[in-house]
Amino acid sequence: MDYVFQFGVVWREIDALLLGAWLTLRLSALAMVFGLIVGIAGALAKASRYRTLRLIAHTYVEAIRNTPFLVQVLFVYLGLPSVGMRLTPDQAALLAMVINLGAYTTEIVRAGIKAVPAGQIQAGTALGLSRWQIFRFVVCLPALRAVFPALGSQFILVMLASSVVSVISAEELTAVADTIVARNFRSFEVYLIVTGLYLAMCLAFQGAFAVIHRALFARWRA
Amino acid sequence: MVREFTLHELWFLVLAVRWTIALSAIAFVAGGAGGIAVALSRVSRSVLLAGAATAYIKIVQGTPLLMQLYLVYFGASLLRVTSDAWTAAALGLALYSSAFLGEIWRGCIQAVPHTQWEAARALGLGYPAQLRFIILPQASRIALPPTVGFLVQLVKGTSLASIIGFTELTRAAAVVNNATFRPLMVYTAVAGLYFVLCWPLSVLSDRLERRLDRAGSAAASVQM
Amino acid sequence: MRARRRTVFLVALSIVLGLSLAPFAPAVTAQTVDEIIKRGKVIVGVNTTTPIFGLVGSDGQPEGYDPDVARLVGKYLGVQVEFVSVTGANRLPFLLTNRVDMVIALFGITPERAQQIWFSMPYATEAATLVAPASRAVKSVDDLAGLRVGVPRGAMQDLILTPQAAAKKINLMRFDDEATALQAMVSGQIDVVGTGLLVYRTLNRNDPGKNYEVKIVLRPLHFGIGIRRGQIDLLQWLNTFIYTIKNNGELDAISRKWRQLPLEPLPVF
Repeated sequence: MDYVFQFGVVWREIDALLLGAWLTLRLSALAMVFGLIVGIAGALAKASRYRTLRLIAHTYVEAIRNTPFLVQVLFVYLGLPSVGMRLTPDQAALLAMVINLGAYTTEIVRAGIKAVPAGQIQAGTALGLSRWQIFRFVVCLPALRAVFPALGSQFILVMLASSVVSVISAEELTAVADTIVARNFRSFEVYLIVTGLYLAMCLAFQGAFAVIHRALFARWRA
Repeated sequence: MVREFTLHELWFLVLAVRWTIALSAIAFVAGGAGGIAVALSRVSRSVLLAGAATAYIKIVQGTPLLMQLYLVYFGASLLRVTSDAWTAAALGLALYSSAFLGEIWRGCIQAVPHTQWEAARALGLGYPAQLRFIILPQASRIALPPTVGFLVQLVKGTSLASIIGFTELTRAAAVVNNATFRPLMVYTAVAGLYFVLCWPLSVLSDRLERRLDRAGSAAASVQM
Repeated sequence: MRARRRTVFLVALSIVLGLSLAPFAPAVTAQTVDEIIKRGKVIVGVNTTTPIFGLVGSDGQPEGYDPDVARLVGKYLGVQVEFVSVTGANRLPFLLTNRVDMVIALFGITPERAQQIWFSMPYATEAATLVAPASRAVKSVDDLAGLRVGVPRGAMQDLILTPQAAAKKINLMRFDDEATALQAMVSGQIDVVGTGLLVYRTLNRNDPGKNYEVKIVLRPLHFGIGIRRGQIDLLQWLNTFIYTIKNNGELDAISRKWRQLPLEPLPVF
């Protein structure tokens, strides 16, 4: 192998890379929050009494889960302007991530809701609570606790998927890496370091999730 | 040379589906073979093997697929195992699949009730025979729904191969888009084509899971 | 410990099975003209998403100025041409890692790039420009303040504008290739796009009414055929080839076909 590795070139650009990583973190965190909200709404829609609502939610979930994220991103950024909706790359990236995460979260939250023992819900009805009150006090937190690991995995997946938004010029970590490579052609070195940065962010999020789990559910037994 | 988005362009997209299917199939088969190795390593009694497999899975699951494709692509040529975008994409996706499938299958192996292992041992079977005759057949049934579900992820993952220049459906979309400048129509058509590929698999996976639930609860009640 | 050995054997078998399904072809890196002729084909990297210089035709084959020059290379060498799609970002790594014999893909000749590869003498005239609708008042780089300027990553416009972007308050947006940048322009996502001299015609055809025009010529460019450093044999042949097609009218025909302009005089070095 007559290729000379030059990692020094990469270290000189570490500032730009960290700036890109910061955008990745911001996009991911926002997407997680809004995606969870969309997911809870979707799960409620799927359990609703109204058939139309159930159908809309079902179509939404199936459409998103069976098409690639890259295509969804390009559609939001390049396609939507044709119907008048023009977003900046960062906005388009966030919207695509929220829509994508929302679909998967809908299914996960739905599974969590199903995991709440029927007896609990019956007890709530017996106590005279309304449907909304039952959801808020009896179902919501236990459901989230039941599927917490699955939610965490899906959140990590959406953060990793964000690497794709580089194609619409959002300057997150992968885009910065591509720009550096376009200048100095040290592709392998740059992408190796960047892969390490993603791994670090993944571990950071997993740590954050563990802390959140402890904060929310420490008092739970069993 | 500007063209209209006609049936001719749509046909060009449909033809590109071949490459998506081919890439998915090869990555799935190669990844499946690797996945068996990874799953067995993780449940093995050798600490070294289990540790290596765990590290491998954690790295693949903790980094973007795009990065993995880039590394395989540029790394392969550095090591003088020069190959084209096809091979790099296939290898990258195969490595990706082997980690995910290995993790899924490991879970399924461990989902087989402990009593089955004990019974197999009581029958005097050695470890390989236990796996072959008692554990793996049951694990395979449990594994079918999530494996089909992963296949959907894999088909969608092939869209990233377009970024390293492999001509599959998403790249074909970019090509047609540049010839016709009609992104809304092109990307709707492409999304539709992916949907046609993936949705039947998703439905199959759901159906298998429901069948398993019913069969499983029947079997569980027998075991009690 | 028969159980452990069996496990290891199974694992090894699976790995071998897995690897055997991914065929590795060792690189046939042709260094000289003789090797290319002996191999029977020349592998050329071309762009397939840029108007005029490289698109995919309705027959699925690359078409444009660059692919036609590549076909002439094949004709004069007496070999088949195998096209490989390259982008602005990966054409140099492709060349350096032996995936292609040469790159004929809007490769602007610059001394920085010449540190990594060799260029043949120019075979096409172009320029790095900034294009926008007629209504947009832009006469110099200073007028770009506050505007969204889309450029292909690593292209000449990126290299020229990035050092000035922060100071002049330009919102520089980098896309993977010129094609996506043009799409962004047509979708109204950017105000100014970095492209070549003649692409404004394509934009006007696709997005009529806006009267796209070249606002600023950042730097005149010439394109050369890119090859790996040290291939003196191939370089000599390519220069002889370019001299020939310049003088026998074939390059002029290509220029008229794709640029609707006769071939301008090209410098030599």
